[in-house]
Amino acid sequence: MNTKTTVLGQTYQFRDLKEVFAKANEDKSGDQLAGIAAADSRERVAAKQVLADLTLADIRNNPMVPAEEDEVSRVIEEGINEKIYNEIKNWSVAELREYILSHQAGDNELKRISRGLSSEMIAATAKLMSNLDLITAASKIKVVTHANTAIGQRGVLASRVQPNHPSDNVQGIKASLYEGLSYGIGDAVIGINPVIDTADSVKDILNMTKDVMTKFDIPTQNCVLAHVSTQMRAIRNGAPADLIFQSLAGSEKGNNAFGIDVALLDEADELMRKEGTSYGPNFWYFETGQGSELSAEAHHGMDQVTMEARCYGLARKYNPFIVNTVVGFIGPEYLYDSRQVIRAGLEDHYMGKMHGLPMGCDVCYTNHMKVDQNDMDNLGILLSSAGVNFVIGVAMADDVMLNYQSTSFHDIAAFREVMGLRPAPDFEKWLEKMGIMENGRLTAKAGDPTIFM
Amino acid sequence: MDEQWIQSVGIDVGTSTTKMIVSRLRLGRMSSTFSLPRYQIVERQLLYASEVHSTPLIGFDEIDADGIGAILAAEYDKAQISLSQIKSGAVIITGETASKKNAQHIVHLLAERSGDFVVATAGADLEGVLAGKGAGAEKRSQAMQGVIVNVDIGGGTANAAYFQRGRAIATVTFHVGGRLIRLSPQGVVQYVSPNIQQWLTAKGLRIPVGQEIGFAQLTEVAEQLGRSMLDYLTGKERQVSGLLVVGPHLRDAIPVDELTVSGGVGLLMSGPPVRNIADASRYGDFGPLLGYVLQQEREKGTYPVQWLDPDQTVRATVIGAGMQSTEISGSTVHIKPELLPIKNIPILKLELTEEQLADATRLRQEVASIYQLGERLFEKTTGIPFALAISGIGYCSYALLQTLSQELSEQYRATFPESQTMVVICETDMAKALGQALALRCKGAPEIICIDQVRVEYGDYIDLGEPISGTIIPVVVKTLAFDERP
Amino acid sequence: MEQQLDFLVDKVVAELQKKLGEVSEQAPSPKTETGLIQLRSEPKAEPVANATAAPTPAPVVNEQPAPSKEPERTTHVPNPKYKEGLDELLSSTPARIGVWRTGVRPLTKTMLELRRDHAAAVDAVYGEVSQAVLDQFSLFTVETQYDNTENYLKRPDMGRILTEEGVRMLQERCQKKPQVQIVVSDGLSAAAVDANLKDVLPSLMDSLKSYGLTCGTPFFIKGGRVASMDHVGEILEPEVLVLLIGERPGLVTAHSMSAYMCYRPRKGMVESERTVISNIHRQGTSPVEAGAHIGTILSKMLEQKASGVKLVL
Repeated sequence: MNTKTTVLGQTYQFRDLKEVFAKANEDKSGDQLAGIAAADSRERVAAKQVLADLTLADIRNNPMVPAEEDEVSRVIEEGINEKIYNEIKNWSVAELREYILSHQAGDNELKRISRGLSSEMIAATAKLMSNLDLITAASKIKVVTHANTAIGQRGVLASRVQPNHPSDNVQGIKASLYEGLSYGIGDAVIGINPVIDTADSVKDILNMTKDVMTKFDIPTQNCVLAHVSTQMRAIRNGAPADLIFQSLAGSEKGNNAFGIDVALLDEADELMRKEGTSYGPNFWYFETGQGSELSAEAHHGMDQVTMEARCYGLARKYNPFIVNTVVGFIGPEYLYDSRQVIRAGLEDHYMGKMHGLPMGCDVCYTNHMKVDQNDMDNLGILLSSAGVNFVIGVAMADDVMLNYQSTSFHDIAAFREVMGLRPAPDFEKWLEKMGIMENGRLTAKAGDPTIFM
Repeated sequence: MDEQWIQSVGIDVGTSTTKMIVSRLRLGRMSSTFSLPRYQIVERQLLYASEVHSTPLIGFDEIDADGIGAILAAEYDKAQISLSQIKSGAVIITGETASKKNAQHIVHLLAERSGDFVVATAGADLEGVLAGKGAGAEKRSQAMQGVIVNVDIGGGTANAAYFQRGRAIATVTFHVGGRLIRLSPQGVVQYVSPNIQQWLTAKGLRIPVGQEIGFAQLTEVAEQLGRSMLDYLTGKERQVSGLLVVGPHLRDAIPVDELTVSGGVGLLMSGPPVRNIADASRYGDFGPLLGYVLQQEREKGTYPVQWLDPDQTVRATVIGAGMQSTEISGSTVHIKPELLPIKNIPILKLELTEEQLADATRLRQEVASIYQLGERLFEKTTGIPFALAISGIGYCSYALLQTLSQELSEQYRATFPESQTMVVICETDMAKALGQALALRCKGAPEIICIDQVRVEYGDYIDLGEPISGTIIPVVVKTLAFDERP
Repeated sequence: MEQQLDFLVDKVVAELQKKLGEVSEQAPSPKTETGLIQLRSEPKAEPVANATAAPTPAPVVNEQPAPSKEPERTTHVPNPKYKEGLDELLSSTPARIGVWRTGVRPLTKTMLELRRDHAAAVDAVYGEVSQAVLDQFSLFTVETQYDNTENYLKRPDMGRILTEEGVRMLQERCQKKPQVQIVVSDGLSAAAVDANLKDVLPSLMDSLKSYGLTCGTPFFIKGGRVASMDHVGEILEPEVLVLLIGERPGLVTAHSMSAYMCYRPRKGMVESERTVISNIHRQGTSPVEAGAHIGTILSKMLEQKASGVKLVL
């Protein structure tokens, strides 16, 4: 395995694969914080150059987080289809990139090759891609999933309505939910982040959302984004959950910091098969985001893009209904400004789709980042063009519980209108029935939450 | 601690029937671990409902207190509940019943027989509201846009409560009930309540006491009585029908969209048709006929309201009393556990304006005049003369807290020197800070109990239960005065 | 006990009788009439002098702290299907709902309100705590190694360590091994300290007094992160420490403060060993109430010799 190269007259010798992977990344404050980022642009290019020439076998044979030490590595390793891998193991990362972007590789081809790739290999290609490469590649992959309804079809931009409330007031949650529905938002999921992580509170909110869905016959799914074990308790107490949620990290240690492991996910998966209230076959809602492993000091000296890809490797095991990268929530020490956030959003979406996952993105930022709503407009449009499965809808983009800004109900309506995208088909029919949408456009009734009172 | 159950009892001694229920209420943490603790009742389960007993009488108008005691003792036994387990609840004694000669004896007996923290109360307003809750009208109002009224018709009175968007907005009580006219099986009128005499006269109706009454004539009275009540409830006519009203009238007619009828007469509405005097008098009164004519009105649809079936009929009040009477105060409070429970404390309201909050002199004057009012209204006691309910404070800064606690404590000590405990109820979440500030000033003379986030009005009485897990205080507010619509 | 019961029974019966209107012959003072009877009969009596002059309080959403005077929220939905319902929705949440639209975009006013609140939030991050507020409580200032705001944002690790100068100042000016150590820091919102310290801190001091706890020398850390409390713990070795620190500003408020509390803070503490009360501001957790409650938590920490998840509250 060659880890040496010369760029503009200077020779670079990288210590190991981890260093090559980290330094080949586009600039991120999180990699700087970890002390593993390239010192300058020239070193970055050198690392990319070395990476481009490595073979897929080099990556597999030099595990950066050994499977003996980490169960996420084991899940990823066990998921590889040996037959497909053997066909391509001698490809360089450059060749893989070019294959992915070539016209000969369509949706089916990419899904097939995906099964022979490890998460690290997919991360490697992302490091060699420009933003437009990431968009081009991702836009070829269509991932349709089904719980109560199907999303992910071509030409569809679905959305999660996120009607959070600072004290979980059920009436207050309902108020934002009505507002969102009246803008045609909520086809991916009605998902609430609770303040109170108790089974009671989770059950109350699940019951309320289910009641609204039943009353108005809304073709969607409900979910409360508490810790998975709290949701499991609520479900065992009879709460109606169409989807079960959990945040994932890309290492066993990172997952332990979240209070989960593969055994617990397996148990939750089993429970959903028995007691989940949706038709399936996809029951999971996962969230990820670059930097979470470092924040738990569980990154094994690896860069945040590769760790993020490993989350998708883990997610893939559970055939989720939706996966959401919460791209700008973590803060400026991981993604400093809009440039880094936009890059990360496109990387995550691409890497997730290359894993065959139904990727969505919480296009978002916190107030201590050098980012504003204009940047969200940009990333939202870029992801819409890349075929993102869903984005997040919050009233006027301002989440009054999590204290950050995402995309608004208006924004999603605009993405759809500008990009010629539609809500999920069943949901659009329902919107028409409610008189909120006609021929893919909002009607004069849209935006009045009291139509649900 | 994430959850805790408390057991609550409801007892309803009515003019004609007596029943009790036992329920359990679950307190759940309603705040995150990063906030101040806050608990609420998150679940109410009915554990036991007694059968409906005839209220035992001695003669015509005296309640057999010992008989009631025996019924309760047997029911507690059947329910396998010991009194020490009961932490909250309410006993409702219907107005007419309680006004009988031996009311005192009954209340006394009930207080003994119904556990640690159970209050005996009998406000028709509260009864109406509790019956409305038990009948499901309150819940229904949250799911609709207009107003729903539940009228709970028992033996002597009918208690109506209006609900809108989950809030009780008005109550009214009528002399309408199954036992106002009592009959022998042959149709001889044995008794007519004097309470409806004026109304009968105004209507030109006569009922011959001691004589046989014809079925048609009795039906006419029942129909007129039912219609008068419905006229008043729906605002169709309030002059003549108003003669049936007990206590305060509604200020304005309230447009009603939906109606439920609970109580014993509510149950009789779904009984068999009443075709002759034998059908009518099967319980010794004209209750079955009253239920039947109301059912006829419902079927005819003369009144422009939607009639709905209540969740509960004869047990609506007792279920409301047992399951819906208890609230929980805010969980950051200032208390001395050994001073609780306390019962039947009247409310004195201190409603502060922005001007008074901004000006120490005006604040002092306001506190002084409210304390003077308290002095006149309530008897001097070494205990608790009243609970001071403070409202109008938007944001309480530390500076305001100091001024407020200074004025409240200094004047309290001067005006009520014999009182050993001062009880304060804040509308907003500030009880711990205010209690602490008061206690630092008073140093035990008086002791301070300060709770918050309970809404009370003038004329309310309040009971505070023993703290659960240290700081969770069950509260029963006995609403005797009713807020008219804002 | 028996006496008490009699008293209770008398009261109930008296109330019953009043309720039944059967005691009209009683002749109490006029004030009594007004206080207990008039208010619930019609027509509503003229307000009693001084007693009922206050306006009816606005409906309060029970589950959340009552907001103080906020700017009136208005809705722009032109023809709502259920107008009263819209007010009810608005009063149930601080979320920006009922805002209406032009095409698929927000109205200008709504958009500008969002930008204004974002501006306030950004200002809070880049602002500085007012010296007057620090002087009011005689807090002297030490700094962490954060250097500048940009670096502070990128390098949280540097906000956890005091400068050598800061360490020296603590050693010189602070009482060692106090029972309670109070520390204040700007964190991500200087405005939070400016807005809340004057209410939280004295209420906390009163609470400590009520519990009979003694307090060391309080001070202010500029450029502090939560874990700076660990470094302070190493230097001063308090039994318990509370850090009052500005939170990451949101749009609803840029003035929110948190209190992080820890039993025997020292290097290498993990998050689960800290107890936190967050969202302390005018519209959130009441600052004076939070101050009083923090005292209770600290006293429990001392009692149980534990903090964070091990602390039973």
